Amino acid sequence: MLCQNCKRNEATTHIKRIINGDMAETHLCSSCASQLGYDDVFSGFGINFSDFFGGFLSDTVPSVTTLTTVKRCGKCGSSFHDIVKEGKIGCAECYRTFYDNLLPMLQRIHGRIQHNGKTSLKAGHIQQEESLEEKIERLKNEMNEAVSRQDFEQAAKLRDEIKALESEGGKK
Amino acid sequence: MSKWYIEKGEQGDIVLSTRIRFARNIDEYPFPSKLDIEGRRRVSRAVHDAVMGSSVGSDFSYIEMSSLSRSQAVSLAERHLISPEFACAGEGSALLITNDESVSIMLCEEDHIRIQVMKAGLALHEAYDTADKIDTMLDNSLHYAFDERIGYLTQCPTNLGTAMRASVMLHLPALTKTGRLSALAATISKLGLTIRGAYGEGSGSKGDIFQLSNQITLGITEQAALDNLNAITLQIVTQERAVAAELIKIPTEEDKIHRAFGILKNARLISNDEFMELASLVRMGAARGILDIPIEKINELIVTVQPATINAAQGKSLEPQVRDKIRAQSVREALNNV
Repeated sequence: MLCQNCKRNEATTHIKRIINGDMAETHLCSSCASQLGYDDVFSGFGINFSDFFGGFLSDTVPSVTTLTTVKRCGKCGSSFHDIVKEGKIGCAECYRTFYDNLLPMLQRIHGRIQHNGKTSLKAGHIQQEESLEEKIERLKNEMNEAVSRQDFEQAAKLRDEIKALESEGGKK
Repeated sequence: MSKWYIEKGEQGDIVLSTRIRFARNIDEYPFPSKLDIEGRRRVSRAVHDAVMGSSVGSDFSYIEMSSLSRSQAVSLAERHLISPEFACAGEGSALLITNDESVSIMLCEEDHIRIQVMKAGLALHEAYDTADKIDTMLDNSLHYAFDERIGYLTQCPTNLGTAMRASVMLHLPALTKTGRLSALAATISKLGLTIRGAYGEGSGSKGDIFQLSNQITLGITEQAALDNLNAITLQIVTQERAVAAELIKIPTEEDKIHRAFGILKNARLISNDEFMELASLVRMGAARGILDIPIEKINELIVTVQPATINAAQGKSLEPQVRDKIRAQSVREALNNV
């Protein structure tokens, strides 16, 4: 087989990549492989696995991504779309922000969704439940965001949710 | 000091080594792919301070990955002290490693912290205990990213939960040669484990050396994962021994072992691939008592004659043929003086 790049020399380096579920094969001769950065024992390892995993994520949840592209992690700025695209979570906060979006994938990867093992000493601090006031505050912010991008349907939904929570708080 | 990758441990005729790896992240920093060089430096520094300030601090050396030559970095990966990906890590990433090379902590690899403990032979629980102690010590001084529902938070969601990867390095020449390994691999994946080439994801299996590790990390305790891996390792070991015992009764197969030994003792030039192929036969011969050489000798050679390790020992990047000559010479010296 001839090298696909120079089409002159015998191909000796064979690269397989899986992008969004499709397998692509590339066959190169040693000099073209070297030019393209596949020249030594380990260079094949470090690359492309995120592509692979990203493909896996987007295969799993194509529909969710379109709904949530605008929501961003307050800490690292990743959107759920970024996470799906890169196949990497941005920071610890992303897990909290996108927990519900991630859940179906986690289920698919691990089967079970309940940690059952060693517990970090600081676990108690991280696990603080969102108080009612905090939740109302967060929903208000989300509502304002929805208004600013003229998504009035979402904004109305959030307004009703806030009202319900406020009356719940009033009763207490 | 004799290194763990040379010694012969439990089930040492087949199990070369055991590795436990924990992935951990510090809550306040974004994961490494979202960090710039300055951020990676700060994370590396924070872990450096936590380790060096502890009671085990004096056992560790701190190496910035950018200070290593390419050969030195790849040589660390050839000895399985770091991951192949980490050998390419740039500015800001660092390594903490003990003098006997049995504990290494990669800083800003895929996660902020990767604690790795290695032992000779099959020693899953011992290796776990060591890793657990270091982890608890770091947990005391750093604020780990953790969630009660999904455990330790990691950059790649496949590691969530215990974020522990336990693996054993197995030499399986007889199962490979008789084609039984592929059937075995299918069964293994049903049991929540995975088997692949010695250098992990995407690597082939040079010298019939494979890495068996746990796959599922969420919803299973560390102990259950270790017990499962231990039990399956012992089954594979038993099968390999039984198949090897039959294989060496075949005259042509026994002949191959002696021929391989003859070539290794006499060759003047030998490539790494040829060496690994022949070393696998010789190691099987030694393990089954056909050849009278200590198995540690071969374990040592498998590590010391890898390409980047030869370069690193010579202090420069050599042409392949020069390496083949040095390799052949080291092999002759090791095998003719036993």
